[in-house]
Order: sequence, then structure tokens, then C-alpha cells
Amino acid sequence: MEHATFVIGSWVLTAGSLIAYAVWIIRRGRALSKHATNEEMPWT
Amino acid sequence: MSTHSGTGTKATRGLGIIVLLMLIALAFFGLVFSAEDVVQGSTVRIMYVHVPAIWVAYLAFGLTAVCSAVYLSGKNRSLAWDRVAGASGEIGVLFVAVSLVTGSLWGRLTWGTYWVWDARLTSTAFLFITYIGYLAVRRLGGTHRQRARRSSVLALLAIVEIPLVHFSVNMWRSLHQSASVADPNAKVQLDGLMLFSLFLGLFAFTLLFVWLVLHRQRTLQLEDAFADRGLDAAIAARREEAVK
Amino acid sequence: MDLTPRTNSEAIVEPAKRKRRWGPVVIVVLALVFGGVVVTKFLTSAIDYYCNVDEVGSRTGCEGDRRMRVQGIVEQHSVKQVDGATSFVMTFNGEKLPVHYAGDPGGVFQECIPVVAHGRVVNDVFESDRIEVKHSNQYVQKNKTRLDKANEEAAACSVSAD
Repeated sequence: MEHATFVIGSWVLTAGSLIAYAVWIIRRGRALSKHATNEEMPWT
Repeated sequence: MSTHSGTGTKATRGLGIIVLLMLIALAFFGLVFSAEDVVQGSTVRIMYVHVPAIWVAYLAFGLTAVCSAVYLSGKNRSLAWDRVAGASGEIGVLFVAVSLVTGSLWGRLTWGTYWVWDARLTSTAFLFITYIGYLAVRRLGGTHRQRARRSSVLALLAIVEIPLVHFSVNMWRSLHQSASVADPNAKVQLDGLMLFSLFLGLFAFTLLFVWLVLHRQRTLQLEDAFADRGLDAAIAARREEAVK
Repeated sequence: MDLTPRTNSEAIVEPAKRKRRWGPVVIVVLALVFGGVVVTKFLTSAIDYYCNVDEVGSRTGCEGDRRMRVQGIVEQHSVKQVDGATSFVMTFNGEKLPVHYAGDPGGVFQECIPVVAHGRVVNDVFESDRIEVKHSNQYVQKNKTRLDKANEEAAACSVSAD
């Protein structure tokens, strides 16, 4: 593949940033929910 | 305390699995199965993440504006609208950043430069800065209702930038190419699996956006609840004193 | 219930104070500053990013003696590379402009593709120090089994000319 560094780099940057954000959200949600009551979590 | 862990539900877990499978399929179609472009070669493969990223950013900022309008117009001003607006705005900023970076790399290979101050790139940079400002305004302090009011007004002002960005390539002379699909006057030419891969990317990224918003607005709800606890404790203490 | 404001601070159960946070204030100020810079760039550079070849010397802002950006299509069979420099002819609306560029243009520079050249006209030749390739919004797949090199070039010409 021509210009593989740029092409693969674009995909890796995209995947990396989206995965990092998703992991941060999930971890933050888990950390907060440990101290939350059931009333504070209406989706449960 | 809750017996449930995290912001997930059965529905979000199911959606998450679908999104993951679609993103894996996108990687195969975008990087392996779709053909190279006759002019750009394999560089065209950046399109399958660049275009969906800016589409999701438009969608996210649109949702932010709609939720802000509902919050401001409703008699019962539920903060849930504000939290969805905030979650969507934050995710939109992430996707604009992805679009700017991937676009810059694509530009280096096709145009020969990472950045130009043409109408599309300049207006997109302005959009990015505006919504960073929106996120900062949400964190300025004050009560939840103060946050919701000021950020809703800003969201409704900022949304006018979306048509400016999208149609900038038609309104002004720009180095950036005009839209291949999202333009009623465009003659769509994306050969073979190129068009399919692009639509797969648009669909996968849209579902990913839905999944992210669902989780993020729940973490915001927990953050708001924890911030309210101190206030609730103060009111409870006053009640106890009054009873004594 | 007594709801008058307290004067005895020790008796107050402190609620979670929502103080003014300075980090977001700094970000808002920076956003305003950078927003101003971007708007300035928009007004000075982004509107009408280039002059077309047929407008050089005839349109306001495209006067021949000033530095400008000119857009045109690289004429077929006009590209010549000598001693590391590249010369070619740009065309648009029937007008032609010879271009001299001291280097090898980057991007997907080739014949029949629209380009934007930065520079100024010197002795009827556009002396350029930067070339940007303006790609079309149409994508044609490369088919290695059916198209030979000549056909690919012809396809590139037809795409660019649209």
C-alpha cells in the first residue's frame, strides 16, 4: 500500500482516540456508580 | 448504595457489540476490500474515517442544539435535556478533532500540504474552537440551571456554523473538494465498494455516537447527583434543626 | 421552618460549593483569542482562496504584479522537469499561464489535474514557490487487470476535467 504510514496512521489515530474516550467514559461511570444509590441511577 | 455497576444496560451492551462488529467490518472494507482511487491511490482509504467523523460531529452539534432548544422552551425544564446536550457536544468536539487530524494527513498526500487557510478548513477550525468554548462555558461553575441556561443559548448560536462549514466549498473558492454525496447537485461517483464502504462508515460511526451519548449522559447525571448531595445534606440539616 | 440566612458560620453544614473555576475561564478566553485569529484568517485568506487563470490581471485582487494564488488545470503534455525545477502550463476558460516552480510539486500532482500555485507573475511567467493540488470530488477505482497505465492517465484526465 502506498503511503501506508499516513493511511494506517489515520485509522490508528481515529481508533485510538475513540477507544480511549470510550474507556474513560466507562471507567468514570463505574467509579461514580460505586457511590451512587439506585435512585440516582434510574437506568438500572 | 447501588448494586448495579456502571452506566451500561442490556440494551447498551447489545448496541456496543453491534458497533464493534460494524467497525471491524469497516476496517476490512475500508483498508482491504475497497479499491484504490485512480488518482489518489490508497490515500482514498482515509476518506472512510474522515467523512464519517465530520458527519458525526454535525449530528452531535445538531443534537446539542435541539436538546438546548427543548430545555429553553419547555415549561418543565428537565436537566436531562441539558445533560444530553453536554454529552453530545463533548463527543462532537472529539469527532471534529478526529476529522481535522485525518483531513490534515489526507491533505498532505493529495494537496501536498497539511493545512491551508481556505474556507472549509478555516470554518471547521472555527467550529472546533467554538465548541471547545461551549464545553468550557459548561464548566464555569454556578448551579446546574445556570449552566444549562448559558450553555443552551451558546449552543443555539453556535449551530449556525454547521451550514457555514458544509456549504463553504460552494459559497467560496476553496482548495477542499466539494461534497461527493451530501450535495444535491453533486454527480456521485464513488466506484465499486467505495460508496458502500463510505456508507458503512457513516452508519457505524452514527451508532457509535449513540452508544457514547447514552453512556456519557449517564455519567453526567451521576456527577450532577453527587454535586447535589452537599446541598441536600445542608437542607436536611436545616430541617432537623427546625424540628428540634 | 426558619429559612433566614445564617450568621453563625460554624452552625452551617457546608453544601458543595459551586465556586468559580479558573481553568474553564482561561479556556474561554483562549477560545475567544484563537477564534479571533481564525476569523481574521477567514476574512483575509479563506474568502476567494485563489484567482482563476483567466482572471489574472483583470480581476480586482488578481493584479499581475502582486503575490497571489492562481488556480488552473495542468495542461496535458506540458510538464517538464529540468535541474530539479518543474515547469508546466496552467489553463482555465481558454486562457493559459506558464508556471515555473523551483522544486518537485507534492501531493498527487500530475497532468490534467487542477492545482493552485502561490507566487507572482514575472515576465509573463508565474514564478511559484508553492503548489497545492486541488482534487476532484469523484473517485474512480483503479483496476489493475483491465486498465493499463495509459488508460489510467486518461481516466485521471476525465475525472479532473469535470
